[in-house]
Amino acid sequence: MINIKFVFLLFTTFIFMPGISLAGETGSALKDDIIRVEPYTDAKKAGEMERGDRLEIINKKGAWLNIKTAKAGGWVRLLSVKRGGGGGGNEAKGVLALASGRAGTGKVVAASGVRGLSEEDLKKARYNEAEVRALESYTKSAGQGRHFAHKGRLKAVKFDYLPESHEGGKK
Amino acid sequence: MNAVCFLLVFLLSLTFATQAQAFGFDLLKNVVKSNVAGKNSAEGKQNFNWRNPSQQEEILIGRQIMGNLLGSAPLVRNETLQEYVNQVGRWVASQSERADLPWRFGVIESEDINAFSAPGGYVVITRGLYRKLENEAQLAGVLAHEIAHIVRKHHLKLLQKSRMLDMGSVLLGRQLGKGNQIIQKAIGSGAEVYARSLDKDAEYEADRMGVTLAIRAGYEPYGLPEILQIIGQTSRDESSVALLFKTHPHPDDRLIKLDDAIGNQLDTITSGKTMSKRFYRLNYQE
Repeated sequence: MINIKFVFLLFTTFIFMPGISLAGETGSALKDDIIRVEPYTDAKKAGEMERGDRLEIINKKGAWLNIKTAKAGGWVRLLSVKRGGGGGGNEAKGVLALASGRAGTGKVVAASGVRGLSEEDLKKARYNEAEVRALESYTKSAGQGRHFAHKGRLKAVKFDYLPESHEGGKK
Repeated sequence: MNAVCFLLVFLLSLTFATQAQAFGFDLLKNVVKSNVAGKNSAEGKQNFNWRNPSQQEEILIGRQIMGNLLGSAPLVRNETLQEYVNQVGRWVASQSERADLPWRFGVIESEDINAFSAPGGYVVITRGLYRKLENEAQLAGVLAHEIAHIVRKHHLKLLQKSRMLDMGSVLLGRQLGKGNQIIQKAIGSGAEVYARSLDKDAEYEADRMGVTLAIRAGYEPYGLPEILQIIGQTSRDESSVALLFKTHPHPDDRLIKLDDAIGNQLDTITSGKTMSKRFYRLNYQE
């Protein structure tokens, strides 16, 4: 008899991540939260996770992550999850990288010539006029900014600054 | 007493004029002129309005601080990269209430993971942080956080609160005629301001504003949170995040605060773009 769960897993794998292995990305719950069947606030509850629960991140859709804990699987808000944290594998190249089309490009941090910016460096810093001028030489006007946005079909959206708490007013 | 005052003002004028030429910077000349002509107290302070600087004065303060920082970590020699970052930054900054500032952006030579802003519209991010970015929306989110600090004058307030500027004023009165740059005297060499922490609330506010500004600019709202998640994976022991973790709340705490602020308010924003294809990627050698 065919294992239905296996078929379902295979199916979702092909739907969401064609040709790319999903294994490796882990995380943990940043807070207690409800796991939902679909990536919507009013979707049916699939289970719950508790702060600190280990989980596997399977996919990302907008503000939602498809995750799997030891107890349940489903969708939780991206901000309820801490990525990484000892699950093994290369977590730097995870689902978020996949979602942004960065998969497989293999970001590499230069191993030689590493230059930090420590507290000590900051204390010793000496003013450099030539560098400031160089920085200022790249200054763009508001019009150039608009043109750049237009080229990328970015449209300005009206949106008020987020309050401290979404439950209204300041805490 | 009057003679002493007169001598002070005269010396100040001379020094300021020399500095203005040294900078080759008309703005400074104008600011200096107006301040020297405008006010001088018996203590020799207040020639530059440190307590409530005008926009021009704010830019000069920021310019000095950024110049100090660039002395330690210069710009990455990549014009395409710098042009690109300025285009993204300018568009995002235009969504703020201080769109009239001459906004400047840059990527600096450091493998640390960090970003810095200075009063008056100066924003830089390290190459180490840029490497972590995966799309333009994330870059916009990071720049937007720094833009928010400038919009809310967080560092300016820190300078004032820590009395670094007041001490500068005292120096200004005492050390006239030494030929050092007036503003540098007042601010000090070094960029130690970046080794100090802003109030945690200022960081949380900049996060909320950063997300908002990116949304206003048409980007996918989760660029900044995604980067916080990525940075949050870095061990506290790694030197590349030592300064960032010392001066900022941990990314996990910032994410929790953002979650408090956002709730389900962004569920209706579905048109935001990541601009992944347009994102300028550094190659391995850079």
